[in-house]
Amino acid sequence: MIAPHRLSIKFFFDDFSVDVESFIPVFHRWIREDVVPNELLLDVADYKHIVDGPAILLVGHEADYVIDLTDGKPGLLYVRKRDVGSDLSSALGTTLSQALNGAKLTENDVELKGKLKLRTDGAAIVLLDRLNYPNAANGDGADSPAVAAQAQLSENLAAVFGDDATVTRVANHAREPLTFKLHAPSAPDVDTLLNRLGSGD
Amino acid sequence: MSNIGWKDVLADEMSDDLAHEIDIFEGQMELMGQGKLDEKVFAETRLRRGVYGQRYDNGQRHDGFESRELAFDEKERIKGPDTLWHAPGMQRIKVPGGGLTPNQLDVLAQVADEYSDGILHITTRQDIQLHFVHIEDTPDMMRRLASVGITTREACGNSVRNVTCCHLAGVCRTEVFDATPYSEAFAEFLLGHDDVQDFGRKFKPAFSGCEAEACGLVMMHDIGYLAQIQEVDGNPRRGFKVYVGGGLGTVPHQAKVLSEFTPEEEILPLAQAVSRVFARLGEKRNRNRARIKFLVAKLGIEEFRRLVEEERKTLPHDDRWTAYMDTLPHYEEKPSRPPTFLNGQVRSSEFNQWFETNVYSQRQEGYSVVTVNLPLGDLTSQQTWELADIARKYVGDNVRSTVEQNIVLRWVSDSDLPNLYEELKAIGLGDPGAGTIVDITACPGTDTCKLGIASSRGLAGELRTRLTAKSASLPDAIKDLKIKISGCFNSCGQHHVSDIGFFGNSRRSGNFKMPHFQVILGGKWHDNAGSYGLAVGAVPSKTVPEVVDTITSRYVEERSKGETFQDWIGRIGKKEARNIIQPFMQLPAFEQDPEYFSDWGDPRVFSLGDIGIGECAGEVVSLFSMEISPAESEAFEAQVALDENDPARADALAYSSMLKAARALVRTQFLDVGDSPDRIVQEFKTRFFDTELFFDQYAKGKFGQYLLDRHSNGDPKPDNDAAHRLIEEALLFIEATHACESKVGGNVLVEI
Ligand code: HEM
Ligand code: SF4
Repeated sequence: MIAPHRLSIKFFFDDFSVDVESFIPVFHRWIREDVVPNELLLDVADYKHIVDGPAILLVGHEADYVIDLTDGKPGLLYVRKRDVGSDLSSALGTTLSQALNGAKLTENDVELKGKLKLRTDGAAIVLLDRLNYPNAANGDGADSPAVAAQAQLSENLAAVFGDDATVTRVANHAREPLTFKLHAPSAPDVDTLLNRLGSGD
Repeated sequence: MSNIGWKDVLADEMSDDLAHEIDIFEGQMELMGQGKLDEKVFAETRLRRGVYGQRYDNGQRHDGFESRELAFDEKERIKGPDTLWHAPGMQRIKVPGGGLTPNQLDVLAQVADEYSDGILHITTRQDIQLHFVHIEDTPDMMRRLASVGITTREACGNSVRNVTCCHLAGVCRTEVFDATPYSEAFAEFLLGHDDVQDFGRKFKPAFSGCEAEACGLVMMHDIGYLAQIQEVDGNPRRGFKVYVGGGLGTVPHQAKVLSEFTPEEEILPLAQAVSRVFARLGEKRNRNRARIKFLVAKLGIEEFRRLVEEERKTLPHDDRWTAYMDTLPHYEEKPSRPPTFLNGQVRSSEFNQWFETNVYSQRQEGYSVVTVNLPLGDLTSQQTWELADIARKYVGDNVRSTVEQNIVLRWVSDSDLPNLYEELKAIGLGDPGAGTIVDITACPGTDTCKLGIASSRGLAGELRTRLTAKSASLPDAIKDLKIKISGCFNSCGQHHVSDIGFFGNSRRSGNFKMPHFQVILGGKWHDNAGSYGLAVGAVPSKTVPEVVDTITSRYVEERSKGETFQDWIGRIGKKEARNIIQPFMQLPAFEQDPEYFSDWGDPRVFSLGDIGIGECAGEVVSLFSMEISPAESEAFEAQVALDENDPARADALAYSSMLKAARALVRTQFLDVGDSPDRIVQEFKTRFFDTELFFDQYAKGKFGQYLLDRHSNGDPKPDNDAAHRLIEEALLFIEATHACESKVGGNVLVEI
């Protein structure tokens, strides 16, 4: 299946009580120290004035890292924008491993250490590509890309998160991007996931 | 795998003109990628499509310690002077008069999440901007916008920018009449018009319905139209008082009256005549003096007026001058609900607070305008489509953006207000305080602007938070003051016309630079931006919240009853105003207070190292270069069509590219050649072919003959070979056009 124009994954924080502003110096340091492998980091955008949206963005060339508060569910959102991959599977592989790497960097950051924990037992996955992956309602005929994407994501994610991992479609409006929810009750921690993806240390 | 793109999917939903323009732009991108277009021509081309540069796109960024190179791929590939192809940029989207529909909002939200960072930003001229956009994505983005009738054409560059209009026009209690349909006709008439393609600088128009209010801001625009009704032969006639030569920037100018009354049927020809005078006589080399305000100042308004009147007489008649007037009597907005009254509903105190500042009671009984107060002019994609739904439910298409970076919902039936408020609040858009001291305007500043010196948005966010926290206890006299912030002297945040304005600059303390803001006091928003404020001194960025407290407290203590902020500043004078801020002008050393050496929301040690070359002035390239470039793009498209086995289309495009090239050449001598192929070919023939100016030393008239032959062939029926031949001929013809222009160029008289 064709790689989507953009693909994002959001992992959610457990008990988020950090002031979002504290990510600003952290992200600037990440840029300075060039901490993300294979990605060019560009700048930090401060959107904390927006209620219920992305609060702080680490903007990169290939991807953005977002401290995202949408729907009152704080999380680390990784948006893969360029060099997404040759097909959906590889796009998912890249996005997932870079997102998990971002999660690890966040949890282990010198300024944030001990203050944050990202959950691995669930995630939101969004295919930002209304041309190739329209968010057509289930069963309306135009939903075959969505159905196929769900099958593909289920297969790939079960291999990483465990056999009991399920991927369900979020019933959002057709104009919104195609969105899936990963539920992975027996998911291991970030390091194990990275190892399974072959991207561990 | 599908090869179907947005171009195919939306083919039936875009107007042919828009679709074709976007294809041409895509072709120009391709040619630029192959190094076949001049960098300045391409830069101006993309600017005229709203594709603007953004901070760090020269591939350098200061990380607080040193300036570092950003490792973009293919660093040799550029999209303009000193601007890397792969660096993300800003996309400005034109919104004439701020008018938006829910369907447009949906699509804007979609392109924002697929191509930018998912944030829509409303600008100080009712436009929408997206940031961090990759140039490869722009053609599809434009197509998706075109499918809902939005164009980005001439949003930037040396062109007629967005035509602004009061967001209350049509429902306002004080207007003379609704200026909206006139501003729309103006925008449509001048969009892409031949006479606006050769400006030395940008040209900003505004329309306003009344003199005393602010919304239209005609006094600070290049051209401004103020609605008037005059008795003519005992009958009331609609028209406009027309202003020209206003503008902010480093040297703000108040507009001058060009005409006390221009009847409605004359407003478009007048604009055309002004455009011609500006294109012909406006400064082209020195960009700092190229706005029309400098031309008006240099000539004097009387001489300028005389020239415009002369020009008007020579304009060839155009039916479009008055065609729109047939629709005027039918122009009306339709409320989607019947009028009702706000009686008896239970009101929360929160609602009351919001109601007081965010609701304007319309001239039409039973209806109100609701202002959605957007923090720093920003909203997310999700908020945007949720807002679109709210609009659908309560007001239909009656949505506009405002020059104070907000969105208004017009024609809200009054009894709907409490529910509407709850729904806005639920999506994070229920902030009260619209139009008050907490509703701060700010330009993009150092966040994304290449010229930004200090963080206008960082400061605006900080002030908004602090002032909101104490807004309940703020005295009434200061609640309604306006704060506007620009990141540098260019004044995109309109600081000159606010009570308390700031623009970013920098001062040195020891070996370090410290972000500062110049304080501008007493500008006037009302009376259509009636007067500009006084610059009283620069203070460190980090002291600004205290500076605001100090100034406003002094005003509250010292003002006499009913004295406005402007009057108070006028009374105490510049010297005393400076005394008020003097205590904040002492600069600590870095070791004493390092905080002062970084900006709001940006912990990097402050530097000016990131300032790049702004693109506000566009590139001054000749009219010919701008007009020949689409011809080249079309010839390129013709090749693509041939590769796709579509000889008929290839032939049509190749022919059209020759016509475009010939037209560009003819227009170096004769601006009014128009669009008719017969006329273009005839003028080309008499001016360049018959005179042998077009002749090549060796090939003689061969290349020119290609056009004459193809033009006389009314029924070409091309097969692949014939189309292939015509494409070759078109390429040779275009080359010959270039050669001819450089041979003759500069020595020709421009006829008008
Ligand atoms: C020398 C360069 C520039 C000058 C002289 C300039 C001047 C201005 C002025 C005077 C305004 C505001 C008032 C108005 O006309 O309504 C304005 C609007 C604006 N400027 Fe600039 N500007 C420059 C460059 C830039 C740059 C580099 C950016 C950042 C990308 C920028 C962003 C804006 C924005 C967002 C607006 C709001 C207006 C719109 O939608 O057209 N400007 N500019
Ligand atoms: S005022 Fe200066 S910093 Fe702000 S947008 Fe304009 S040019 Fe950029």
